[in-house]
Amino acid sequence: MITGSKLKNWPPMDKGFLFDNDRCVDCKACIAACILENGWTVKPRTVFTFNNERLTYLPVINLSMACNHCEIPVCLDGCPSGAIYRHPGTGAIVVDEAKCLGCKYCIWNCPYDAPKFDENKRVIGKCHLCYNGFSEGRIPACTSACPTGALSFGKLNDIPSIKSFPWLPDKKLKPSLMLTGHAQDKATTVVPADKFEPELKKTTATNNNRKGIWVLVLFTYLITLSVSAVLKSLIDGTFPQPGLFCLSIIIAGLVSLLHLGRKIRAWRAPVNIRRSPLSREIAAFILYSVLSCVAVILRMPGLLLVSSAAGLILLIFIDAVYYFADRSRKIIFHSGQTFLSALIIISFLTNNVLPFLFIALLKLASSFFSMTSLQETMKNFSLRFMRFAILLITGVMLISGRYEINNIVILVFLSGELLDRILFYIDFKPVNINDLIYNNEIIFSNEKKRN
Amino acid sequence: MEEFVTACPRNCYSTCSFRVQVENGHIIRILPYAGNRATPEGPCIKGLSYVERSNSEERIIHPLLRASTGDFKEISFEEATDIISGKLNFYRRDFGPSSVMWYTGSGMSGLTNETGSCFWRAFGGPTTTYGDLCWPAGLEAVRLTMGSVKHNVPWDIENANLLVIWGKNPAETNIQEMAFIGKARDKGCKVIVIDTLRTETAEKSDVFICPVIGTDAALALAIARILVDKGMTNDAFIDKYVYGYKEFKESLTITPEQAEVITGIPRDTITDMAYLIGKSGPVTFLPGYGLQRHSNGGQTIRSILSLAVITGNIGKTGAGFNYANLQSYVFDDEKEPLSLYPDIEKDRPFRRILSKAKLGADMLRTKDPELKAAYIERGNPILQSPDSLKVTEAFKKLDFIVVTDQFLTDTARMADIILPAKNMFEQTDIIGSYWSPYIQLKPAIIEMPGEVKPESEIYFQLSKKMGLGVTTDLLPEPGNENIEKWLSKRIEGYSSLVFDDLRKGPVLAPGLQPIAWHDMVFETPSGRIELYSQEAKSKWDVSPMPGYVPLNEPCDKNKYPLVFLTPNKSSSIHSQFGNLRIIREVTEEPAVEISVKDAEMRDIQDGNIVRIFNDNGVIKCTVRISSCVPTGSVILHNGIWMADGGGGNFLIKGVETDMGYGSAFHDNRIEIEKLAADG
Repeated sequence: MITGSKLKNWPPMDKGFLFDNDRCVDCKACIAACILENGWTVKPRTVFTFNNERLTYLPVINLSMACNHCEIPVCLDGCPSGAIYRHPGTGAIVVDEAKCLGCKYCIWNCPYDAPKFDENKRVIGKCHLCYNGFSEGRIPACTSACPTGALSFGKLNDIPSIKSFPWLPDKKLKPSLMLTGHAQDKATTVVPADKFEPELKKTTATNNNRKGIWVLVLFTYLITLSVSAVLKSLIDGTFPQPGLFCLSIIIAGLVSLLHLGRKIRAWRAPVNIRRSPLSREIAAFILYSVLSCVAVILRMPGLLLVSSAAGLILLIFIDAVYYFADRSRKIIFHSGQTFLSALIIISFLTNNVLPFLFIALLKLASSFFSMTSLQETMKNFSLRFMRFAILLITGVMLISGRYEINNIVILVFLSGELLDRILFYIDFKPVNINDLIYNNEIIFSNEKKRN
Repeated sequence: MEEFVTACPRNCYSTCSFRVQVENGHIIRILPYAGNRATPEGPCIKGLSYVERSNSEERIIHPLLRASTGDFKEISFEEATDIISGKLNFYRRDFGPSSVMWYTGSGMSGLTNETGSCFWRAFGGPTTTYGDLCWPAGLEAVRLTMGSVKHNVPWDIENANLLVIWGKNPAETNIQEMAFIGKARDKGCKVIVIDTLRTETAEKSDVFICPVIGTDAALALAIARILVDKGMTNDAFIDKYVYGYKEFKESLTITPEQAEVITGIPRDTITDMAYLIGKSGPVTFLPGYGLQRHSNGGQTIRSILSLAVITGNIGKTGAGFNYANLQSYVFDDEKEPLSLYPDIEKDRPFRRILSKAKLGADMLRTKDPELKAAYIERGNPILQSPDSLKVTEAFKKLDFIVVTDQFLTDTARMADIILPAKNMFEQTDIIGSYWSPYIQLKPAIIEMPGEVKPESEIYFQLSKKMGLGVTTDLLPEPGNENIEKWLSKRIEGYSSLVFDDLRKGPVLAPGLQPIAWHDMVFETPSGRIELYSQEAKSKWDVSPMPGYVPLNEPCDKNKYPLVFLTPNKSSSIHSQFGNLRIIREVTEEPAVEISVKDAEMRDIQDGNIVRIFNDNGVIKCTVRISSCVPTGSVILHNGIWMADGGGGNFLIKGVETDMGYGSAFHDNRIEIEKLAADG
């Protein structure tokens, strides 16, 4: 299992952000100070508000947060280009803008919504603890600017009080953040309450780090098809049509560049191969591309065998990229994972009924599980239903053996797998504080309504 | 890099001290200054924004003259003062000095502002204004009752057992007070917030009460009746220090049942409030200024103040009625509110004829001589005066308008000449505060860019060119060393104020009472706290006792069902700061705010362009649906520039408050409708 590993020889941060929600009134001085001190063109600091809808029966709780400079920095571990590093003097987790690809993987990995994509600079901007100011005797600008004393910088005690924050994600990363404040465990009594809105009107969370995700759908699906083609050829003892095969790999490679903020720095992607699953994915992709293209062009059966192995490893690495980011573990059995898709495509194309049946049942079970366990919108439900139907119909056609599996049937089957991949991205929701706030608002609000 | 201690001179409670770092002649960093006990954690976003404000590219740094094309063109300071002195001499000679209006706002406080009155006295007495747009009804209410306007040092509220925050939103307008409220709560203090809006301050309370707008006096007097009926008054205190209690007691006719009908607050809640106020121990009341911007504003403040009086919450720690603390206003011969409408006979040759609340109508009414010119400083009357349409009309009728400002405000856009104004870091000055007890010096720490001149120098040059012959003890010669000499002279006679001490940081005001009225000396006619005030009757023609007077709403309730409020917000001090990039980046977009239900009823969605209108006027604005706004009310924050869809004053009738010559901004009603997409 690939997990965020602790940076070697790094002692736990003894200092960090101290936050007292009883004092915070969402005045934004922390955000303003952060921008003015550092000239950011993004806003590394956010004041999150639980119950921003101001339901009268719930407390309104503010939390000013930027990067928590975690003891287990998953953003750093995941960063493919090695642009994120720990500053030796202060322990701050810092982004080197000159190395950042703008791949946004850290945005997925960070549950606190700390890294922000800078649309102007096309790289990530993130709180760096104003690390340059320490040598001049300054503490982070946000903490010195807080006019109520809600946010400060100082010694972290062992056990932070988190009573008021059931929606604070993933304390296991050991954020350098201590939360105090308790007066707001209770909602303010509002008289007369009927002058204010009693209903939760918000319908979606604010998490918006999914822009351009179609690029990844296309990239991963093209690879899935490519690896399936290699394995099919291996089983059939043939070779794929070299022009088409190489073209599809080149297209996949080019497509993968599209979502990068700084495409010219794509070469840095495999730099952090020791820790980043994304680096491993890219390294495996390069290896697979070279091996398989050579094998197909020069028709070398031995090399084709090697590249099929490389291809399967690549698929596992692709799935690991998402597994690493999704600490909620909701997609671990997802039917849209590339490895599983490749296996079912191969068994379908090579007419291997038994393995097909096995994987198809697995996928159907997983889809059914997703349908019941995830918050399903009508749109998602109908997509999943379509995907279900395609697999069922094409599967019955294959197993019964009474129908001709022509190109149209294959195309329909493959479109079902593409749909599954799309559903994978819809279901892939890395833990993020914005979603957690929203989900908790719903939970608390339902609880109150029952009482 | 150099570091200085300075103080924020804005029209704001806090008057924060802060450290400011200067590098290569530019402000690079604002940091807190712990030596001010009222603001030890530093300023708000506006204070922080001085880094941008003082370096802003949008700042006007050369005099501008309106060309015949209507655009502004840069001219030199010499040319500008030549034109102005020529014009002023012409109007003075041909029409008389009062054909020129001198209008000042509250844009920057400081002793050097006095140089303006020296010039205009020598000019011969222009037309000026009386009253104030902000707080005078409440000031007068407190003065009539207590004899003077002051309260305990801000940090004393930590010692309260109950805080009654009535119509104040310190989370946005006095954020440093939130630290003390928080500390009080940590010690177990209960907090009641009474407000129309569900503010961030309300979120930090135990109970948030939202009465019908303008009925606060009824709520207070019903509470007073319960306190009296249930024996929760401090009779020893009343016997000794209160004048007119018997009459006051008899005037308490509003029962909790009647109050429920008037205010919409259930009688049980009113009773609970009374018991909390009567039984908690020291209670501090923190009234705001919004609730006295009504036609019944003064009487409302008197009614709430009566609760502090009859429970004996005066003159002791943790107790009080913190409306305003003028203890640091030591340099004024006459303090506010009296200075807002000085005796004309005593103050020759000033001729005060125009009401700030009714500026437009009054300007249009001037005769013999008619107004010909206006000279405006530290203010933005086009945007900030009620009935903006009339004010605009009156300004358009003028021949010549001079505006001194740092930015091209809605008023500056109407000027014939704009003189670039200094900022707070460019001239040494001394300021007080109406909340904290300090006298503070703000030193000159950077050079003025371009041809910016401080007002004292503008007046010096004008006086010279016009041959007014004002002496240099009144109007110091240019140069900051001369200003500092002038200031040193000005503070002579206050043994505790030493110029070099002030340079190091804030100094407590001479004669400060950390606990106001601890000596139980009240400067009223009777020498006691006056619940019965003859002066209230004779001067303002209101009841000598506090009382509930229903609002005198100028608009038809059926035609215009929504109450229209223009409260202040953290993103601006009146119309200052809202133009800065950093402020716009971190705060919500300017918009009119409406409740969820009212929006639904009118089929209005978040972000729609809407038309807001009543018989006074109409404006177009973006709308935001807000869960902080109660059903039946609409909010457009004070000070939003016209280019941003502001201008709430176009909908506000120019009406004076019941006392103090304030402006009843919050009496108005409106209707709101969605504009078609092509709108």
